[in-house]
Amino acid sequence: MSAPRMEVHAFGLRFANPVLTASGTFGYGSELAGSCPLTALGGLVTKGISLAPRAGNPEPRICETAAGMLNSIGLANVGLRAFLEEKLPFLRDCGTRVLVNFFGETEDDYLRCAEGLSGHGPGIDGLELNISCPNVKAGGLEFGVVPEVAGRLCERVRGATDLPLVVKLTPNVTDVVALARACVQGGASGLSLINTLRGMAIDARTRRPRLARVFGGLSGPAIKPVALRLVHEVARARLGVPIIGIGGIMSGEDAAEFLLAGATLVQVGTASFVRPDAAARVAEELLGYCAAQQVSDVSELTGALA
Amino acid sequence: MRFFTAKVVESQDLGGAYSWLCLEGCEALAAASPGQFAMLRGWPGHDPLLSRAFSVLSTGPGTAEFLIRRVGRGSGLLGAARPGDPIRVVGPLGRGFPVATPEVTELLVAGGCGLAPLYFAARRAQAEGRRVRLLYGARQSCELVLADVLRARGVELQTATEDGSAGERGLVTALLERELAASTAGLRVLACGPEPMLRATREVARRHGVPCFLSLESPMACGVGACLGCAIPARDRPFLYVCKDGPVFAAEEVWP
Repeated sequence: MSAPRMEVHAFGLRFANPVLTASGTFGYGSELAGSCPLTALGGLVTKGISLAPRAGNPEPRICETAAGMLNSIGLANVGLRAFLEEKLPFLRDCGTRVLVNFFGETEDDYLRCAEGLSGHGPGIDGLELNISCPNVKAGGLEFGVVPEVAGRLCERVRGATDLPLVVKLTPNVTDVVALARACVQGGASGLSLINTLRGMAIDARTRRPRLARVFGGLSGPAIKPVALRLVHEVARARLGVPIIGIGGIMSGEDAAEFLLAGATLVQVGTASFVRPDAAARVAEELLGYCAAQQVSDVSELTGALA
Repeated sequence: MRFFTAKVVESQDLGGAYSWLCLEGCEALAAASPGQFAMLRGWPGHDPLLSRAFSVLSTGPGTAEFLIRRVGRGSGLLGAARPGDPIRVVGPLGRGFPVATPEVTELLVAGGCGLAPLYFAARRAQAEGRRVRLLYGARQSCELVLADVLRARGVELQTATEDGSAGERGLVTALLERELAASTAGLRVLACGPEPMLRATREVARRHGVPCFLSLESPMACGVGACLGCAIPARDRPFLYVCKDGPVFAAEEVWP
């Protein structure tokens, strides 16, 4: 049998394989490029970009939990302008697909950011819209928890860019399908799920929360079962757009599980902290899995849950 | 920075919850300078999930040594590693102590497991024929690990313990105060230890007008500047990052 075909098409883009790095775990691409060959990846997703630079939250910002970690980095980033001037040149010729994650605190922030990221040619193949941050105009409620709010935001951002627009959903909702549907109706080209689960850790001896901001986002192997469930729920709703599965992927088999649950692509996140070449290894292991399972085309796995 | 699997060639329980590890297959760490660190993990599976950051204690031909204080599960597992055990390493990482010119005399101030980068600095100074003095403090005598090794190698060493069980009774910063009161000519203070000790060290050095460099620690997921977890409040910007901007900082750069 010839080598399995790993190439995947989604949102009008060709990906060399289904494995991408997740936003916030791989910097702006250049930080880990020396340890993780970018050409071995399907793509990378940048750290979330906002219109203005953000310093991030007070420390401590992270703490380890059972088979996972909590973070409250606070979306620290260099801002749109520095991203375009200092980070984009590296990405133009980095050898893999690039999705730029972005966010805002108002609809206008989102729109201006989407516009600012568009029309640059190579280096930005698509956008990933992070709707998990608080909407300051709506009293701090997240954009991503009310379907009407999320749908309207997608619709407006859709009108501001011609790039593929993937929407990254939060798991911290009761009905993820309603949100996913609203985003697709608003023009989303695809859906990434899941972002981190809200959690908390306490030091019993000092009686203090372990994070300065008390709550943080849980990631890592601990969240994989929840992520698989949410991906599968959205996949079963057959909304007609590709899903990027995210949540605790550490191995090629983990990635295969997300594809079977209904994802077309996957993102490797926290694993890159454990070893910088994690995403490349997942891609290699997924190839090995396909060969061992006599899967001739990795796309066959999508939704192929028995 | 390289990512590789090393092997434990020797390990020792030094007492006082400290272990000493010597790894082989660490050619990639040969270029490490005092103050630089590596991320280590020595257990299978994903729990504990994250690797642990340790200052390089010393390097030899193909080898690297680490001082492990066993405070939790990750450090406990590393401290219990046995010869032959594989250890995954990312390193060398971060910015070490500034390179010393021959006319500089380094005054090293260590608190507890903060000894590690200063042990390396002391050995490096000796190898380069520079004079070096080490002030080493701990809570009690059993925690003054490797002090005998340093003495045997001819490092000028003064110790202090909080309970008075070895050296002078009191804090290592009292030793520093006395040293700087005697003379500050050509001195540079390098320090590593608990945050209160480092803040006190900075204050003493500032009062005497002596340049001071601190090696800091922070919870850290990746060690390479990707997670942004190891933020530290800084003077001329909101935060610096311990892993890539440090772990060694000029004292006035941090904690405004």
